[in-house]
Amino acid sequence: MAHAATHDHHDHHGAPKGFFQRWVMSTNHKDIGTLYLIFSLTMFFIGGAFAMVIRAELFKPGMQLVQPYFFNEMTTMHALVMIFGAIMPSFVGLANWMIPLMVGAPDMALPRMNNLSFWIMPFAFLLLLSTLFMPGGGPAGGWTMYPPLSLQGESVAYVIFAVHLMGISSIMGAINIIATILNMRAPGMDLLKMPVFVWSWLITAFLLIAVMPVLAGAVTMLLTDKYFGTNFFNAAGGGDPVLFQHIFWFFGHPEVYIMILPAFGIISEIIPTFARKPIFGYRAMVFAIASIAFLSFIVWAHHMFAVGLPMGAEIFFMYATMLIAVPTGVKVFNWVSTMWGGSMTFETPMLFSIAFVILFTIGGFSGLMLALAPADFQYHDTYFVVAHFHYVLVTGAAFSIMAAAYYWLPKWSGNMYSETWGKIHFWSSVISVNVLFFPQHFLGLAGMPRRIPDYNVAFANFNMISSIGGFWFGASQLIFLGVVIHCVFFSKKKAADRSWEGAKGLEWTVPSPAPFHTFDVPPVIHDDELAHGNTEH
Amino acid sequence: MQGTTDIAFEARRKRARRTALIAGGFAVAVFVLSIVQMLKA
Repeated sequence: MAHAATHDHHDHHGAPKGFFQRWVMSTNHKDIGTLYLIFSLTMFFIGGAFAMVIRAELFKPGMQLVQPYFFNEMTTMHALVMIFGAIMPSFVGLANWMIPLMVGAPDMALPRMNNLSFWIMPFAFLLLLSTLFMPGGGPAGGWTMYPPLSLQGESVAYVIFAVHLMGISSIMGAINIIATILNMRAPGMDLLKMPVFVWSWLITAFLLIAVMPVLAGAVTMLLTDKYFGTNFFNAAGGGDPVLFQHIFWFFGHPEVYIMILPAFGIISEIIPTFARKPIFGYRAMVFAIASIAFLSFIVWAHHMFAVGLPMGAEIFFMYATMLIAVPTGVKVFNWVSTMWGGSMTFETPMLFSIAFVILFTIGGFSGLMLALAPADFQYHDTYFVVAHFHYVLVTGAAFSIMAAAYYWLPKWSGNMYSETWGKIHFWSSVISVNVLFFPQHFLGLAGMPRRIPDYNVAFANFNMISSIGGFWFGASQLIFLGVVIHCVFFSKKKAADRSWEGAKGLEWTVPSPAPFHTFDVPPVIHDDELAHGNTEH
Repeated sequence: MQGTTDIAFEARRKRARRTALIAGGFAVAVFVLSIVQMLKA
């Protein structure tokens, strides 16, 4: 058995005793994973608080609570915090915790760089958030930072430095993940036996090192335009503001997949466990992820249909974008096929996974609508777009992270969470998130623009419904916080090593909670213990 | 046995460092190229 080669005790042998040594100087993948997860949960609530301000202001037409500039700061910061502070670091945290356990490695390949990758993040976000308290305020030109609008603020240098730091952190994290997966796998863990989550992260890490430097280049050029007299994007000096949009979205669209491919990996781990069947079409799942990653590089201008692209470009980007529906459809088909005929049970991780499949598909369909260049002229910059990407990022990425947290909490903490409260959290979230975002489709189709603090009275009813859903969804996440705290510190129900009956994979062969050091001696791998050990059938 | 494992493990760590250098070099090259391309544009 694989776990015979690991530590068979439940203590934290080898963990430093002092708080500073244990957490600040940590080079242990599990501790750094925990730090990432705590950080991202904190940012999730900060970004969520900004969203509450937005929805409170939009509760009724007319100016209610905040000044327009502050409202714009909130929309900008909500996006930056949620994308770079909540979603991305939480996936890196899950990667840190689970990838070494899943491939039978003792730790990440470069543990000290791992520590640095994490500890850059709090400083980057302190810097970013501190701009809200500076004279002149924080960034308010949208997370896309389009010039010349984004260059009008006084906090440009701080924001750009923060973005650089986040980028460096992400790139170092990605390099570490690539080096770990390619070099640290236990003997016998062939590439095509790896869990889909590991595959999804390998591909995501390549996306990260390919596009984060492009964002770094774009914001560096913004910086020189603002402070050093260059004219990359300044039309008056012979530059081209649309050029920024091209560079930004060359980063920005793969970024969307950076935030969803690991989610695909998580769902591909959870559904087979609770359907008690191997994943349907393992290889097709892997190749679909790779195809989506490739296509993500050739679709960026679908964000820019309304700027006046040549007709040929509009048609190319329209069809290329629609092509993404093919590998995505393969994935949805395979998840459903995995469930088909399975002995399914509906614990909280499975509920979130099923909700993911249904609601992410709704987000995918509205994405197809947006991909139609002629139709996009109506949808562009309306609440239809807001509804679309929140279905993808909240009921997609965020739901997958919650599913992952419930799924692996027993392995992390050694305790079972409260299934009753987990289910209350799920049902409260899944109903409220639809009350929040579904009406925004109608608002967008009726012509309500994004990023405005006031609106026509014709949009009042749907906005009020949406805001009620927003407050409800926000409050529901406090239940999640309570469930996690209770599970880690107070739960009396101990988790088994294999916490779920149908769970397969190396991570379930180590004790719960996972000891401080695992797989010091590489495990002996048996195909029948792996989640995808026998992929020939 | 443990000695053999340590040697094999160190070799894997060394390969991992080389992979990291290649990946990091690639990222730096993309950053420089993205700015150089815009300078030419």
